[in-house]
Amino acid sequence: MKGFQIYHKKKIVFAFFVLLLMLLGLTGRLVYVMVFQSEYYSQKALELHERERSIKAARGRILDKNGTVIADNKVVCTISVIHSQIENPEEVAGVLSKELEMDYETVLKKVQKYSSMERIKSNVDKSVGDKIRQCNLSGVKVDEDYKRFYPYSSLASKVLGFTGGDNQGILGLEVKYDEQLQGTNGTILTLTDAKGLELDYTGESRIEPIAGNDLTLTLDMNIQSYATQLAMQVMEAKEAESVSLIVMNPNNGAILAMVDVPEYDLNHPFELEYAYKEKTPEVLQSVSGNTTEAANKMWRNACINDTYEPGSTFKVITAAAGLECKAVRLDEQFHCPGFCIVEDRKIRCHKTQGHGSENFLTATMNSCNPVFINVGLRVGIDRYYEYFKQFGLLNKTGIDLPGEAGTIMHKKEDMGLVELATVSFGQSFQITPIQLITTISSLINGGHRVTPHLADYVTDSVTGNVTKFNYSVQDDIVSDETSETLRFMLEKVVSEGGGKKAYIEGYSIGGKTATSQTLPRSSGQYIASFIGFEPANDPQIIALVIIRKPQGVYYGGQIAAPVIKKLYENILPYLEGIQYN
Amino acid sequence: MPIRKKNKTKNQSFFDYTLLFVVIFLIAFGLIMIYSTSSYEATGQLGDSTYYLRHQFVATIAGTFVMFITTMIDYHRWEKYAFIGMGVSIILIFLVLTPMGVEVNGARRWIRVVGSLQFQPAEIVKIAVILFCASMITHFSKKKLATLKGAAIIIAVPAIMALLLWQITDNLSSGIIVGGIAVVMLFVADSDYKKYIIAFLLVVAIGAGVVYAATHMQSDSFRMGRIAIWLDPEKDPDGIGFQTLQALYAIGSGGIFGKGLGGSMQKLGFLPEAQNDMIFSIICEELGLFGALAVILLFVLLIWRCMVIANNSPDLFGALLVVGVMAHFAIQVVLNIAVVTNTMPNTGISLPFISYGGTSEMFLMAEIGLVLNVSRQIRLKDNVM
Repeated sequence: MKGFQIYHKKKIVFAFFVLLLMLLGLTGRLVYVMVFQSEYYSQKALELHERERSIKAARGRILDKNGTVIADNKVVCTISVIHSQIENPEEVAGVLSKELEMDYETVLKKVQKYSSMERIKSNVDKSVGDKIRQCNLSGVKVDEDYKRFYPYSSLASKVLGFTGGDNQGILGLEVKYDEQLQGTNGTILTLTDAKGLELDYTGESRIEPIAGNDLTLTLDMNIQSYATQLAMQVMEAKEAESVSLIVMNPNNGAILAMVDVPEYDLNHPFELEYAYKEKTPEVLQSVSGNTTEAANKMWRNACINDTYEPGSTFKVITAAAGLECKAVRLDEQFHCPGFCIVEDRKIRCHKTQGHGSENFLTATMNSCNPVFINVGLRVGIDRYYEYFKQFGLLNKTGIDLPGEAGTIMHKKEDMGLVELATVSFGQSFQITPIQLITTISSLINGGHRVTPHLADYVTDSVTGNVTKFNYSVQDDIVSDETSETLRFMLEKVVSEGGGKKAYIEGYSIGGKTATSQTLPRSSGQYIASFIGFEPANDPQIIALVIIRKPQGVYYGGQIAAPVIKKLYENILPYLEGIQYN
Repeated sequence: MPIRKKNKTKNQSFFDYTLLFVVIFLIAFGLIMIYSTSSYEATGQLGDSTYYLRHQFVATIAGTFVMFITTMIDYHRWEKYAFIGMGVSIILIFLVLTPMGVEVNGARRWIRVVGSLQFQPAEIVKIAVILFCASMITHFSKKKLATLKGAAIIIAVPAIMALLLWQITDNLSSGIIVGGIAVVMLFVADSDYKKYIIAFLLVVAIGAGVVYAATHMQSDSFRMGRIAIWLDPEKDPDGIGFQTLQALYAIGSGGIFGKGLGGSMQKLGFLPEAQNDMIFSIICEELGLFGALAVILLFVLLIWRCMVIANNSPDLFGALLVVGVMAHFAIQVVLNIAVVTNTMPNTGISLPFISYGGTSEMFLMAEIGLVLNVSRQIRLKDNVM
């Protein structure tokens, strides 16, 4: 025991305990980090390890009143490659280029590109995607996705609108009811390594997407498709620029059809239709941004986005104002010399030799301008303007489509007698087609100002609960009596007057024709229109057709009235059939 | 105790099986953890999930051989090499500067012998210092040791070695370990307590002063910045604080029971080279607080056995050798865990027997062999276990 003393042993033990104490201290530190700070660091670590991918929710479908699906979702695939997982680049490029009908070199370049994930092609048909998936190539990923699909392609295109790349509504009902249709996207949370590669074995936590709600419209695709055919026919026959046709229930504002030809293909909304291409040679190139003027024009729904001078159809409003304030009686006698002098202006009747002696009813049947000017002047600027407002013409109709145009009307203080005279027969101001049909509906339905609408109800995708939309109705904008008189007069217009071409044996149809000039008047172009309802004594349906810039005969009574006649000949039996059922 | 009962027979030899089994257990556990921490990255980078495991296994086999030899050779025979060992150590340190030196991860600490066989001189220096101090101290009288001058003479050579390691091989942590070993050995040999307690308090005071300065003074100094980031690693999450923060994420997310063996997320590239110095954080992540405590307990067992062997050593030289080894293990474990848990600023220190590293493993096993040889020479009859 050379030199080895007791104190050495004591010191060895001392040293041991000092070291032990240090380790104990560190154990304390470990307990602190691993128990008390565990939650904090776990959360931090999870944020570091997790990658979030969203799962698109299926967009709600749009159905017509019969339950026919008119906007649906198609499952499409996105094909991508994960560079680090590819085993045989040539084989992958070969298969992909063959199945996707792409250039081999292009695909190979993408396959060989060093990136964590390279997209080869999106919006690939599901069948093609399935085929690629079955090849079981390592490093190739096939992701399913939803794409909006419109089975009727161009039918009701101006009403439905379309969606963008993220399934968000861009136009029409798709954007108006985007909130209902959109649904809630789900998420996939996956764990990844430091390079961002997903770890297969850890599994993934999913938050399932919630599909959007189905939207059911008041639109009837049978009527819509027939109305579209008629509009196309007359547009082609008359070489017209465009034709709008609205079919509505005058009692509640439910729109059964809204046509504005030429329409466009909803499945390819960024490809210019022939009709537009002709006038605008440039072709749309990109989906995002830079939509040219031509595309905007193509997407416009003239029924609501554009205003026009209504012309003689507006005489219904003047008649209603005159009758309501008792400025005129139905059997009151007038004389039309072919013109009328208001202040220093000589305003011509469309029949230059004059209608001669006529009462208010026959004047309406003849659509005689001087008589209506006379009635307008009797009502007076103040009262006329008041009725204009009371009938709802100064406000927008409130239709559930975006971009409704407002009425362009003289300011009251700027209105002189000449202005009043021209307004009386539907000139010198502008309204939208939907405004005209809504106002006339309200005048003939007993005085209830209805809100035109397309959406009927939504069906919740989860609960199946149905929520009906409510639309405001303003009562008593005109008396029952006046309303009844109007219906009587307008029935006469069709059965004996200028709207004869809309007459159908066995039905009582009321209506009014119009022929107005497009602005500027020097262009010599016309707008022929006709508004008709049925049955005349208790209207259940009302339709308005507007033919813009027809060539040859341009009178509303000659070319527009027959369109409504054909429409009613077909849809009235059909609607009766629905009622019997 | 069972060993005492066998006292009746003559020529019986004591052998510390407890220590041997603790070491075997640590090595086996280390191999498992090296595979667990390195396989994912090794597959990605080298295309071979067992790359690190195989290399460590080979080193373990070689280490077993070395340990067997040192267990067999009488430790007294090493004493005459004490000064030579010092000389060789200095040469080796300077060899790092020659073309034989190898740079790894930006630090030139390695010497290539042949092919891929390379080692860190620091590992040899540690053994050499243990041998040197034990030899020097046994030649000093108790009185001489108790003087400040005597202590200074003993500590001077290890201090130079520590300085060389730090400055020449840019390896501060090995320098600290070498210095620490020498201080513990001197402390044990010296009968005095007072000056060590004063020295300890002085070190604590200086440390506190530096930390205070770093936090309260606007200094742009690099080291001051390091201390500030040590106190709050989230200040520089992508720079200096990166590794520490990643280790804390691993430890913290392990919780009490851990994610299970192989379940670590941080080893998937978030904590680079997880099989090296930071391996303890992955142990915490996978095996939880209980796993971490079990590992600490194994090391406590190891140094406890060292203490017992030292106390029963046949002479002071043997006792000091064992104390040196005990100090080496204990300091390295304490510093490693302190770094990993951000209890002290980040400096590269590996966890004995568990971190990846062939030469380190072999020299550590040689040291254990030394301790086992001392244990073999314990005379049982007048010993208290």
